[in-house]
Amino acid sequence: MSAIEPIVGRYVTVDLNGVAHRIYFEEAGQGRPVLCLHTAGADTRQWRHLMNDAGITAANRLIAFDMPRHGKSLPPEGFETEEYLLTTEAYIETVLAVCTALELERPVLAGCSMGGRIALQLAALHADHFSGFVAIEASDFQPAWYDIDWFDRPDAHGGEMGAALVSANISPHAPHAERWNTLWMFMQSGPGVFRGDLSFYTRDDSLIGRLGDIDTQKTPVHLIVGAYDLTCTPEDAKRTADAIDGATLTVMDELGHFPMSEHPDGFRPFFVDALDRMPQ
Amino acid sequence: MLETLREMQARVNGLPHLNRLGRLFSCTVLLKIDDAEFYLTFEKGQLTSLFEGPSRKTPWQFSLTLDANALQKFWEPHPAPGFHDIFGLVKIGRATVEGDILLLVKNLRFFKEFMALARQMEQTT
Repeated sequence: MSAIEPIVGRYVTVDLNGVAHRIYFEEAGQGRPVLCLHTAGADTRQWRHLMNDAGITAANRLIAFDMPRHGKSLPPEGFETEEYLLTTEAYIETVLAVCTALELERPVLAGCSMGGRIALQLAALHADHFSGFVAIEASDFQPAWYDIDWFDRPDAHGGEMGAALVSANISPHAPHAERWNTLWMFMQSGPGVFRGDLSFYTRDDSLIGRLGDIDTQKTPVHLIVGAYDLTCTPEDAKRTADAIDGATLTVMDELGHFPMSEHPDGFRPFFVDALDRMPQ
Repeated sequence: MLETLREMQARVNGLPHLNRLGRLFSCTVLLKIDDAEFYLTFEKGQLTSLFEGPSRKTPWQFSLTLDANALQKFWEPHPAPGFHDIFGLVKIGRATVEGDILLLVKNLRFFKEFMALARQMEQTT
């Protein structure tokens, strides 16, 4: 067996709000397209285990991209004088622009944390672009139980503080090496990026009023949540699923907020089950 | 409890990676467990002083208050959800942090790993 992984990465430039953005994306597999969205403060590496899973990629083309400023996607020109604050509108525009640029035809959208939040926003507002939604560690809204300004300070390393904070969301059942690989991405996050993501995640409650607009008859919605997730708790996910007519929910007893990254073997059956619920 | 804290003291002072992580961490922490008070003074990642109070003459920078049962659950090898992390205990209402919380957050990994040392002791004994 070759030591070279099947994941292939490339770049595409998309226009977002009139500004060119160079986006890094990677993919593996063939068949049904599944677009995967990473969490706040991280990047596509969170999905690498699933993308290297031949049992999943035999019939699914998994595609993941780094949001602007994340991973290998550069920030837009002029970032050095801007305060980064992600918005629902900009996030939606980015996901749709990547779908168009990559010529994805109604992919399944699988997002985790803020990726799950925007997946539900897209289910409410732009469902016709997708065939179904897998919302992982996703909820309607919950305010921060911490101060997001902690993570963007000139007198401290925001990445290290962010990693130390989000370690609270990783299950003690997670393999040691994958716990630290997961935290490494937060340690690498650019200055102000995690804070800017959290601004979207902890301050924009616009999804609450839109959950009733989601039509699961046309596009199924399945939520998955880990019991060790302190940020999006099983109660948060259940409240959200209950507000979406026809949505389904699975609780993972031994997983946390970054299941595909922190404990890939533990997450795999739940992801396979979720894909089985989506249209072929 | 004091004996456990003394074991944690010996352990942290013998772990170079924690001493390096805490190289800018020099302060006194008040640890309140049930009705008992413990004053922990760190200097550059070493726990140099540890004594049981109460003491009204010892200034501290931040405090962690929790009940002994919650702490024992935190120290289990695989704690239940919420009991697996110091901030988890805060979020489920079993612990409180007062004082200079930013000082704690700037040294959060160090302090979390220090507090978890008793968990490692249980696993290795």
